[in-house]
Amino acid sequence: MLQALDLTKRYPSGASERPALDALNLTIAPGEIFCLLGQNGAGKTTTINLFLGFLQPTSGQAVIDGLNVADHPLETRKRLAYLPETVMLYPNLNGLENLNFFASLAGFRYTPDELRHLLTRAGLQAEAHLKRLGTYSKGMRQKVGIAIALAKQAKALLLDEPTSGLDPKAANEFSDLLLDLGNSGTAILMATHDIFRAKEVGTRIGIMREGRLVETMPTNDLTASELEAVYLQTV
Amino acid sequence: MLTLLFRSFIRSTGVKIGLGFLLTAGLVSLLVGRQFLDRQHRHHREVVAAQQADLRQLAEFNSKEMGLMLYYAPFALVNETLPLAGLSIGQRDVNPSIQRLTIRGLEGQKYDADLNNPSNLLLGNIDFSFVLIYLFPLLIIAFTYSVVSEERENGTWRVVAVQSRNLMGFIAQLFAVRLAVVLGLLVLLLGGGVAVLGLPLDAPFWLFAATAVLYVLGWFGICFWVASLHRPSSTNAVLLITTWLGLLVVVPAAVNQYLLTRYPLPEALATTVKQRRGYHEKWDMPQAPTVAKFYAHYPQFKHYPLPNTSFNWLWYYAMQQMGDDESARESGELRQKLYQREAASRQFGLWLPSVHAQLRLNDLARSGLGNQVRFLDETTRFHERLRLYFYPKIFEEYPVKAENWDQHFVETFADRSPIRVADFLLPPLLFALLLAGLGWLNFRRHLYHL
Repeated sequence: MLQALDLTKRYPSGASERPALDALNLTIAPGEIFCLLGQNGAGKTTTINLFLGFLQPTSGQAVIDGLNVADHPLETRKRLAYLPETVMLYPNLNGLENLNFFASLAGFRYTPDELRHLLTRAGLQAEAHLKRLGTYSKGMRQKVGIAIALAKQAKALLLDEPTSGLDPKAANEFSDLLLDLGNSGTAILMATHDIFRAKEVGTRIGIMREGRLVETMPTNDLTASELEAVYLQTV
Repeated sequence: MLTLLFRSFIRSTGVKIGLGFLLTAGLVSLLVGRQFLDRQHRHHREVVAAQQADLRQLAEFNSKEMGLMLYYAPFALVNETLPLAGLSIGQRDVNPSIQRLTIRGLEGQKYDADLNNPSNLLLGNIDFSFVLIYLFPLLIIAFTYSVVSEERENGTWRVVAVQSRNLMGFIAQLFAVRLAVVLGLLVLLLGGGVAVLGLPLDAPFWLFAATAVLYVLGWFGICFWVASLHRPSSTNAVLLITTWLGLLVVVPAAVNQYLLTRYPLPEALATTVKQRRGYHEKWDMPQAPTVAKFYAHYPQFKHYPLPNTSFNWLWYYAMQQMGDDESARESGELRQKLYQREAASRQFGLWLPSVHAQLRLNDLARSGLGNQVRFLDETTRFHERLRLYFYPKIFEEYPVKAENWDQHFVETFADRSPIRVADFLLPPLLFALLLAGLGWLNFRRHLYHL
């Protein structure tokens, strides 16, 4: 579903330096949850931006559902949902209206009941649904963001450090939600710093360093502490 | 979706304050217009009443000599004030809308102006055209300087870009919502104008409204283009405020200065001097040459002989006539230059939406320089009609009592100079379309750049 073929990105300002992303090769099948680990600047967000079509690759291809992102940006975006690290929505609309708005942007029509159900599924308590987004905490906004991603019913989900603003309970619920989605056949690419959560939800884990994917391993062979050891060795 | 965009926009406190402020300013402008129209109508009524009374009274006091009677007798010509002038007062506050003339030398009377409080003139009127031309753009800038750029800055854009199936359409909707709100306010104020000023819903009114709408569209074009440059909101704000200052303050001042230098009016003083000398020096000259020149101007009066007296009315009015005749060249040049200034400002108006809107709204309201110059032309014709009517009566010493003074009504000048719709609508339409097109191209280029 998600495929990177020799995907390389070099920013014009740093032409002499190393590329931000260097010949990434990666395939994520439907139902798979791939967690990208790595330090800041390792190339995780660049990878996601290349799949989203916000960046043009210097060479190589980002492929979604068999379509090259650079050639079919609209078609590939239709198949994607995206959750950024910090979800920023419209502060003057309430949670329900924001969800409705972003769902209609993607061409979906939901009844108010369906919208409420999505918000609840994303973990947002019912009494917050009709409050203005300006009054929300970061975690609550993140949940609306999750609901927006759910509403799109996308085949692939890109997550950029999605749990960074969530409390442990919410993060746990979020993990369950991801496993649900994985089981129902969504291909998920998640960039994260959270080794333990990666081990918990990921089917495979990749470790990035200086733009390269240096290690890929399935999670079922490893314990979290083994994984941490590998991570610390690699970076 | 438009509904949600509209809600998101209108719920912001800044938007409510801005709309409230502009609505208040708009309503004040309508009251200013109402006061202006009331004053004009009052003056008109007063002049009509005064003319009948004055003529009767003067006829009683000066019943012996027609020449003396007409030395004093004032006849008024009124420049019709349309209700639309309440929306766009133009130069009507500086230039008098009523001329009261005797049949003596015209040039000495033609440029008489009302007494005005100079500080009022300096501040100008807060009429509707001021609110439209100066204040509406500020609101439009406030509403649009951060469209798209703010969403990019706070990160909403990433989610929007991924979700949206038609990102260009989404940008168009962001602007459409703001445009609808601003146009709604404009329509509300124009509706208020109809109610407060009693504007008839005729062709000039609709053209006035269309010109106003296109002016607003022009500013939306500017804002759309600036938003498309892919710069931070703060840069957009600076760019737009600079444009506002440029289009509304700096460039018009520069254009005005250019017109003053390019078409200077030394004739104004020269006309006065020549007219006065033309008349006054004749007192010290023999009567016959003056009257001969008068005969040359009006051969039809040749059969009235010059009386052999030290003072007579034929000679007196011939002297008055010479004041006008000898300053005719300067007067003509003055008029010519005023027309040239008017024509030149129109040329500038083709390129500057602010100048265009001001000139064209004044055109429709019949309150601009063009109207004033045509009123002066009509004043000249009016004065000439009076002279041709009264000269024979003076020269043949027609009895004052025999003249039916009540038939000399106040006359009204209705400016009917032609209005070409294309001149009003095409320049701002092309301006708005051009900027919208350029903005569209820019947006397409940067659409998915973060």
